[in-house]
Amino acid sequence: MLAKMRQKAKDLLSSGVVSTVIGYGEGSGNRVRALFIRKPDDADKLILDERCVQNLAVYLTKREVRALGRPAVVARVPVMRTIQQLMFEKQVAEGEVAVIGISPDSQVLDFPDLKSMAEYVSAIPFELSADEKAAVEKLEKMTAGERWNFWLDVLSGCSKCYACRQSCPLCYCERCTVECNQPQWVSVPSHGLGNLEWHIMRAMHLAGRCVNCGDCFRACPLEIPLNLLTQKIITDIADKFGGADEYALNAFKPDDKEDFIR
Amino acid sequence: MSRIGVFICHCGENINGTVDCAKVAEAASRVPGVSHSVDYKYMCSDPGQSMIKEAIKEKKLTGVVVGACSPRMHEPTFRRACAEAGLNPYLCEMANLREHCSWVHEKSEATTRKAVDLIKSMIEKVKLNQPLQPIKVPVTRAALVLGGGIAGIQASLDIANAGHQVIMVEREPSIGGHMSQLSETFPTLDCSQCILTPRMVEVAQHPNITLHTYSELESLEGFIGNFKAKIRNKARCVDEKLCTGCGMCAQKCPTKKISSEFNAGLGMRSAIYVPFPQAVPNKPVIDKDHCTFFQKGKCKVCEKVCPTKAIRYDQEDRIIDVEVGAVVLATGFDVLGTDFFPEYGYGRYKDVINGLQFERLASASGPTLGVIKRPSDGKVPETVVFVACAGSRDPAKGIEYCSKICCMYTAKHAMLYKHKVHEGSAYVFYMDIRAGGKMYDEFVRRAIEEDDVKYVRGRVSRIYEEDGKLVVKGADTLLGHEPLEIRADLVVLATAGVASSGAEELAQKLHVSYDSHHFFAEAHPKLRPVETNTAGIFLAGACQSPRDIPETVSQASGAASKVAGLFSQEELTREPLVAVVNRTAPPLYSTCTGCGLCMPACPYQAIEMEEIRTRDGTVVKVAAKVNPGLCQGCGTCVALCRVKAIDLQGYTNEQIYAELMAL
Amino acid sequence: MSEFEPKIIAFVCNWCTYAGADLTGTSRIKYASNVRIVRLPCTGRIDFMLLMKAFSRGADGVIVSGCHPNDCHYTSGNFHARRRWIVFKSLLDFMGIDVRRIHFAWVSAAEGAKWAEVVNSVVNDVRALGPYDGYKNLAPIAADWRIQDAG
Repeated sequence: MLAKMRQKAKDLLSSGVVSTVIGYGEGSGNRVRALFIRKPDDADKLILDERCVQNLAVYLTKREVRALGRPAVVARVPVMRTIQQLMFEKQVAEGEVAVIGISPDSQVLDFPDLKSMAEYVSAIPFELSADEKAAVEKLEKMTAGERWNFWLDVLSGCSKCYACRQSCPLCYCERCTVECNQPQWVSVPSHGLGNLEWHIMRAMHLAGRCVNCGDCFRACPLEIPLNLLTQKIITDIADKFGGADEYALNAFKPDDKEDFIR
Repeated sequence: MSRIGVFICHCGENINGTVDCAKVAEAASRVPGVSHSVDYKYMCSDPGQSMIKEAIKEKKLTGVVVGACSPRMHEPTFRRACAEAGLNPYLCEMANLREHCSWVHEKSEATTRKAVDLIKSMIEKVKLNQPLQPIKVPVTRAALVLGGGIAGIQASLDIANAGHQVIMVEREPSIGGHMSQLSETFPTLDCSQCILTPRMVEVAQHPNITLHTYSELESLEGFIGNFKAKIRNKARCVDEKLCTGCGMCAQKCPTKKISSEFNAGLGMRSAIYVPFPQAVPNKPVIDKDHCTFFQKGKCKVCEKVCPTKAIRYDQEDRIIDVEVGAVVLATGFDVLGTDFFPEYGYGRYKDVINGLQFERLASASGPTLGVIKRPSDGKVPETVVFVACAGSRDPAKGIEYCSKICCMYTAKHAMLYKHKVHEGSAYVFYMDIRAGGKMYDEFVRRAIEEDDVKYVRGRVSRIYEEDGKLVVKGADTLLGHEPLEIRADLVVLATAGVASSGAEELAQKLHVSYDSHHFFAEAHPKLRPVETNTAGIFLAGACQSPRDIPETVSQASGAASKVAGLFSQEELTREPLVAVVNRTAPPLYSTCTGCGLCMPACPYQAIEMEEIRTRDGTVVKVAAKVNPGLCQGCGTCVALCRVKAIDLQGYTNEQIYAELMAL
Repeated sequence: MSEFEPKIIAFVCNWCTYAGADLTGTSRIKYASNVRIVRLPCTGRIDFMLLMKAFSRGADGVIVSGCHPNDCHYTSGNFHARRRWIVFKSLLDFMGIDVRRIHFAWVSAAEGAKWAEVVNSVVNDVRALGPYDGYKNLAPIAADWRIQDAG
């Protein structure tokens, strides 16, 4: 499987189909890092194991990566979902990116185009894992006061380093609203208010878009379970609006159900 | 630094009775940026307005806040006063001290405090107001009317008589629509064709109307005042300029057994045909699907007999480009098929017909020349049963809405039958009689009382043939659900009126909304009934919902007057309270990411994608752009935009934020 | 200090609720003066961050109100708003924010009396809940609104 992936990377590079392959390589201290392979011979540096979970789609929208020419990206299911969402949001177009797909059972997948990748990944149900569901439910079962204290506690250390934003492939906006100071939507200091505003805004901006790759959580130096927020929204949207292919917040049904507008 | 003028109105005692206006003006004067603050008895009076104008000039004010009644009341007044004094009217805001404060709260310090808050928040907002210019959109003074029935005819004539060009498109070979098929019209019983055909001729001869029959809309692009349409002229296979309409071709055409659409299947026509004798234009078309030449490659009889050599077998569809400023949709309706009522036997029994077919039977120009003969054997029926609501108001099998016209036309049918067959008996099965309208209920009463039509309140459960008769089984709910069985010679089903075939595709082409039944949706059910949500596209007639002739005609005239109003000026002026996507310096060009998620959220399809190019034409970014001609200023896109790249003029993020933060 | 008087900020659409509140006025129906109305063209325009900013400005309660479903002046702005509120309210609740302090309503231009009822009931409810100290203590925010500039 590893050999097949390396071979595929080699072929894509030597045939000139892509100029870069974005994959995983050994980093320092038994960590994995993103690897940008430019020469076919370097393809053997690519690795693939259970540590390789970073969402490499984050690089696809970066100007400096685009300047390298057409990339191929090693993509597990969440990455493929990200690419699908980026296509939906007109950030990636057919032909701009090649995908070296990795199936849930670690098989290398061949996709002639992004459309076939999207078809493949659409067929895999998008839902939270049992553990993720349990974590969301655990919080839901608390009282409002307990939840407030929970978040106050976990967010208390947040220094707004924005690693969560930088790691998120869907936070590709060139000027994030958190940096807007006319008006100052989010309080600048990383005190309780500033942190709360930032995380509410981040979660809402990802509502209906988040693919639950978990990179925000993994990137957070304080291990704040930020993805609980987006996971909660994912379950809400699935429950309340159904798992449609559309963006839940720019669509509606005249009979959308709620019980709180009086 | 801002120089804001604050003007607090007492509104007599209306505001001053509860709010200490002098105190409010005094508090406002201490707000940074306020250089003038006064209170006065009646701000909206001439002296009051003069105070504002003088202050603008003397103190060189950069913004004005009037604390008075609701802006929904006097905002235009004060904005006009500002404009007269040379201040951009959009630099004037109102704080609602009357409806939202003095009238709803007791006289107290808290009420005055609230008034101060409202003023202060408006001061902060107005500091950020930008001078705005009304949006000018050029207008092409020509209208496209889709549909040549009575709705389209009326709208076209009204617009053309107002001096504007009209391009009328009708998909059938002749204009006239359903009204040309009708026998007589309720409640006056005047002959439909007698009142319609002069109008049809007027359309054909009007110097301002260009008629495209046997044509369909291919596409429509653009926006109010500036639409570009493509019209497909389907090949008639006849040179219209040479054809004199002599009718020789149809007479000699060997293929004559084609069911006539005009006669609702009760008559026959030839393969080259004019739908009916009074057709406009009176030029035939070749029905390629039935023409022997087109099917088998041999025949050409029409070519041989044509005295002017007008037949063109090789004619092809032509696409015509037109530019128009407005569109009137008048595509009418269809009659529901009855497949979902197998128990009524429509299609199985020749003598079970629908209302439109009865119109043809009763029409002097119809297949029986107006004698009511039943289709199976041509006998004059002795007993006729009319079934109202055959499909309407029936969510289970038909459609849930009321088709509105059936009660009246059923009464008319029964009456016409009784007038023609005096000894015959006519039964009407109905759910309710809906005869609202001038002289309508009287008409139904006449059918019952003078013409002895027997009305039975109840539904028909089954119709079957037995010994040459149609047995109609029903119940009379007014006689304790007594089962009823009538042996009839003819049954007429008042089938529901439904949206015209292809209405959905057309709506999508035009970007107008439609309801679940594919009827086009009006912009507002009460106040904007002839407009659609797409500015510049108007509605007339039964394409919006089933309706009768008088209602159709008045709506068509309404739509025409909207069009004429639009065309009354060379430029269309609109309030500049529209959304705008920002443009910034390179390398960003705009904070818009071009994600396009705002596009489907816009109720007016006003957002499009624009390629931002450098001077040498290189595309550097694709970003959203709001068409100010289409935007109505709801701001849904603004709240949706994650990067705040779209903002709403007059209600910008900065303004609302400042307003909120001052509260 | 006298009895706690909550600060309520209302975000309303221009065509239904703002006009409805005008009708409350023309009908001279009295209601609590604690509410401050922010007028927007449509509920679709109401950015969720505005609600957060209202709390950060010291609001103890927030009202969000617009046209009833199917009555939107812009046909669908309120439908979009409703979806956003469904997601947003649930998220706030999940974060432990006191959603009892946010009241969503449909108030039409004809419902002047309903507007007064909405305001009064929100003022009563929030008065019973007390000041939103939990939020106010997140950061040093503007001094007590009731004292400043009271003149």
